[in-house]
Amino acid sequence: MSDVRKIEATVPLAFDRASHWYGDVVAVNDVTCAIEAGITGLLGPNGAGKSTMLQMAAGLLAPSSGTVRAYGESPLANPSIFRKVALVPEREALPSMLSARAFVEARAVLLGLRDPKLAALRALTTVEMDTVADRKVGGFSKGMRQRTKLAAALVHEPTLLLLDEPFNGLDPRQRLHMMRLLEDRARDGTAVLLSSHILEEIEGVASRILVMLSGRLAASGDHRTLRRMMTDRPHTVRIRSTNDRALASALLSSPTVMGVDVEADALLVRTADYTGFAHQVGAVAQQASITLLEVQPTDESLEHVFAYLVAR
Amino acid sequence: MSVAYGRISPWATARVLVQLAWARTFSVTLVAGVIGLLLLPVLFALAFASRGSLSGDPVAFLVQRYDTLVCGLAMPLIALLMGTSAFSAETEDGTLLYLVTTTTPRWWIACVRVMYASIVTGLLSAFAVWSTGAIAADGSNPEHVTTAFTVAVLFGGATYAALFTALALLTRRALVAGLVYVLFWEGALSRTFPALHYLSVRQWTLAVASALTESSEKALQDGPSLAASLIGAAVLVVLSVYVGGRRLQRPHMQR
Repeated sequence: MSDVRKIEATVPLAFDRASHWYGDVVAVNDVTCAIEAGITGLLGPNGAGKSTMLQMAAGLLAPSSGTVRAYGESPLANPSIFRKVALVPEREALPSMLSARAFVEARAVLLGLRDPKLAALRALTTVEMDTVADRKVGGFSKGMRQRTKLAAALVHEPTLLLLDEPFNGLDPRQRLHMMRLLEDRARDGTAVLLSSHILEEIEGVASRILVMLSGRLAASGDHRTLRRMMTDRPHTVRIRSTNDRALASALLSSPTVMGVDVEADALLVRTADYTGFAHQVGAVAQQASITLLEVQPTDESLEHVFAYLVAR
Repeated sequence: MSVAYGRISPWATARVLVQLAWARTFSVTLVAGVIGLLLLPVLFALAFASRGSLSGDPVAFLVQRYDTLVCGLAMPLIALLMGTSAFSAETEDGTLLYLVTTTTPRWWIACVRVMYASIVTGLLSAFAVWSTGAIAADGSNPEHVTTAFTVAVLFGGATYAALFTALALLTRRALVAGLVYVLFWEGALSRTFPALHYLSVRQWTLAVASALTESSEKALQDGPSLAASLIGAAVLVVLSVYVGGRRLQRPHMQR
């Protein structure tokens, strides 16, 4: 084996100019990145291509162009790769007539584990489902289903764990438990790639975040870098007051304000220093004897943030 | 901590795959539908038997009922339900993913599902044949017609099951496609154009029955030769497992 192949074989997951399109729709566009041991978050709004990335990583979808490799091998038509890889899908559906134990054991058998019962019990205990393991999954809550899916994925202790929106349906305690569990896995050397459309969900757990937008890799880095990018960007704030024109004039003298648009019933204020502006706006209004009726950031949605990151 | 891998056990994986298929197949509606299909020839047999010596030739009666009600209706529809229900439901709700993200070979998954549908279809159809024969012929087996059709439906059930199992992986409308094949292709077109008999599982089934009975009823004389039927069925079964296995490499799941 050449040195390059040896190095490739140690990288849990690598996308090299990978694209995938469904008919005319480009779901993933020319993505190059490598996923190492530790937790990597795949962040993006719905439709950004996160699930397609994960399905390509698990070999369920072929890249339309480029390559995807798990431990140096193509995951396509390669069942043996699932000794190391597991995918937790976003969809909740499970075989409703089976108990959680029967379902996880079934996975253990299909994965060729020597002791499926023990492996299933261990996985169910890990996700705190051992006490309800004999109940049929059809009667489970969303959170219980999510944990059963995770147990089915962890049953063979994979070293590359792919999770599609794993925090959906979990209450705060369960979410915290899952975060700790993933952190433990990462500490043991597992590469975890988890997708989410909520930054707060993954910034606490992921050491590295990949931001996807419209199929493209828009940005990547640790959560501090991304936070800085998001905080330092220009913000637009909509303000209604008892005297919009006078307030606009007063605000323009503030160093935190980049510009003001006066609309029919409100002001649109652009600021580069959102925190500084938030501290000053009250004082400026008070000095000018103006009452603030509404102060509302207009561009705080994730889509706006992503659009900004892409445009940079 | 790491887990120990063993060799993939064909029997253990087959048991699990059948268990998962059964969990997706079983429903009160399905059981009621299957019972209804199985009862139809039996009810005809009861009516025939109730007329005693006035009822006519039992061989002619049995061949006709086996041809139309078992080979033409009950067997293909049971195979359709058994062959498509598990894979179609798993594709629809995405649980197929739990089968295809394992180390079990894909062709084996397809093969087990074909065997599962074949055995259930064959046994249920054979039961319909046997009970209809026992009632109509008063426990006898005139011209070996019941035996011939029992073997034939085991053969035909497996062939239909293979076809419909593969169909469930090829199209999201497998049930409709299967119904079109059974009712339109075999029920209408194949009757009108005898050349199409060579592409009809029903006619292959009748060819097997014809080879095993001394009866010379017309329904048993029109089909293709036994050799053509056996070759056709073998090709179809092998192709279904191959195509099914290939399809499971990259399944089309609802997103």
